[in-house]
Amino acid sequence: MSEPVLEVRNLVKYYPLAGGPFGTGTGIVHAVDGVSFRLDHGTTMAVVGESGSGKTTMAKVILLLERPTSGSIRFQGEEITDAHGALLREYKRSVQAVFQDPYSSLSPRMRVRDIVGEPLQVHERLGRAALRTRVGELLEQVGLNPAAASAYPHQFSGGQRQRIAIARALSLNPKLIVLDEPVSALDVSIRAQILNLLVDLQRDRALSYLLISHDLAIVEHMSHSVGVMYAGQLVELAPAERLYAEPQHPYTEALLAAVPSIDPDLPLGQIVGGDVANPADPPSGCRFHPRCPLRAELGNPEICSEEDPAAQVDAASHNVACHFRGAAAKSRAQAASPPA
Amino acid sequence: MTPQLRALEPTAEAGGNVLLRVTDLYTQIPIRGGVVKAVDGVSFDVRRGEIVGLVGESGSGKTMTCLSIIRLLPVAAARTVSGEVWFNGTELLGASDKVMRDVRGRHIAMVMQDALTALNPVLTVGEQVSEPLRHHFGWSRTEARERVLEVLRAVRIPRPAERLDEYPHQFSGGMRQRIVAAMGLGPSPELMLADEPTTALDVTIQAQFLTLVKDLQAQTQMSVLWITHDLGVVAQTCDSVNVMYAGRIVESGSVRRILKQPLHPYTRALLESVPAIGAKRQKLYQIAGQPPDLANLPPGCPFYDRCPLRMEICREQFPPATPDRDGGRVHCWAVGGK
Repeated sequence: MSEPVLEVRNLVKYYPLAGGPFGTGTGIVHAVDGVSFRLDHGTTMAVVGESGSGKTTMAKVILLLERPTSGSIRFQGEEITDAHGALLREYKRSVQAVFQDPYSSLSPRMRVRDIVGEPLQVHERLGRAALRTRVGELLEQVGLNPAAASAYPHQFSGGQRQRIAIARALSLNPKLIVLDEPVSALDVSIRAQILNLLVDLQRDRALSYLLISHDLAIVEHMSHSVGVMYAGQLVELAPAERLYAEPQHPYTEALLAAVPSIDPDLPLGQIVGGDVANPADPPSGCRFHPRCPLRAELGNPEICSEEDPAAQVDAASHNVACHFRGAAAKSRAQAASPPA
Repeated sequence: MTPQLRALEPTAEAGGNVLLRVTDLYTQIPIRGGVVKAVDGVSFDVRRGEIVGLVGESGSGKTMTCLSIIRLLPVAAARTVSGEVWFNGTELLGASDKVMRDVRGRHIAMVMQDALTALNPVLTVGEQVSEPLRHHFGWSRTEARERVLEVLRAVRIPRPAERLDEYPHQFSGGMRQRIVAAMGLGPSPELMLADEPTTALDVTIQAQFLTLVKDLQAQTQMSVLWITHDLGVVAQTCDSVNVMYAGRIVESGSVRRILKQPLHPYTRALLESVPAIGAKRQKLYQIAGQPPDLANLPPGCPFYDRCPLRMEICREQFPPATPDRDGGRVHCWAVGGK
């Protein structure tokens, strides 16, 4: 359990903004700005954040669909940041992805057989008969009838299409699957089917998942560890139970407080004002400082707007990037003092 | 501290406590070889000063119900084939176009899901918020200005006097949705139809919007019909709820009763299948199968194929309403029989 399947260090991805005189650019979008984490074999790590926080860019970089600006990605101990040739091929085989929208991620002109079988044709050059058998097996594993192989995507509902996408991702026996909002486009009554399927597959095939989501309830249900992303940075990273039981970063607290509970007797918690930070023009210091209720409570200490807080780790591998770490979790009535 | 929004006229008490009464509404879309029964016999009330939820999954008919009420059906072929919609003493389905033009915007406002498409990109925010005031009250730009500022302040747009002349793209997503709400609130409508207004927003921005609408509703005493698929949003905003499935309301009642003691097997399954923070479940309850094809509905209960409590009678007849303890109702043979 403790061997990392994926280890990411100081991952950075910047995009130049177009425009400006002579196309010199008008600035830089800090999409991912110094993200580090490790994902243990057979577990699920989730990255939660709001739109524009950089979570999908991070997923793209990890899938090597985009090369990072700097930083390192190690897969099963091997550096793959600049991988090419055979190593890249092997990596792309071991790491698969399932995307949000099964209406646009499946080619409408391919039969299910070809969608699911394509990776096998490319990587394993299976013969027709062998391919047919494998595709049938894969469809069964995701709860579809093998007869579905000859149909086209439009003949299926959203939930079934997502099953087809999962079958395709499983075809090469990957070690790691990146799940980018895998149930967001699905109806409420269908989501549970897909989430349960993903949990079963993980158990049966010792898969590791990197789950990208904005839904804190789904993340709690699925994950072993959780990273909270804000404006390109992980502000808190901890084992799932710790994060939900004792959130320490004020942004994590704000996110949890904002999720509407299905119990009408549990009202929304303290609501933070302001808007999500703009990654093209991130605030100085701690990127959450303009919205931070804790900073306001402490009388707007200067350090928050001047210095970028480095992540601090405690014994239970609970990482928090906040100058006043833990103060958020303590009694709100007491004025906290800055760490020595 | 909180900016107050005054109602332009005190809400009339005439017409009793019920502001909107929808009775036996049927809306259908003819297609080749049949009809899609988008709304299939829907009845519910919205009382004055009440926030009423209409929950359901995509295709359950919640948006079509809402659009049938103000007669803005999106598909040319769609027809409301029968039913009555009484709003403040006027029947809307048989009303003239002139009456409807007065009702829309002045008495019934709409807030849609996607603020970016609801706003005109080439008009300033000030022009768009003042438009319903100029149209319905014949006010000039200058006359409308004070009210526009009041409404923008009420929806918490910072420095409204300066930002009046800016365009929608200069505002963030959360602010745009609040501007759309301000457009609706200007003329002090008695009823606001909110169709998934927070679905496109981030959680922290959604929380801001939910509290804002609740505050404004309390200040102006308007009624809100809130359409959503999110049971958490319902729990945090609505007083009562109608649960829709395949074009019908299968259960309705107070929010507390529905979410804490759901009676209909669909409502129960829906609540159990949603992961909730703090409720670590080993496995989520999963509802088998999928919603039925609206062009080919079975004669009985539309949930029959997926229902754990189904009986023979369910296949043949849609169950009648069984009242619950506090004014709600449920349509289920298995529950009604008890």
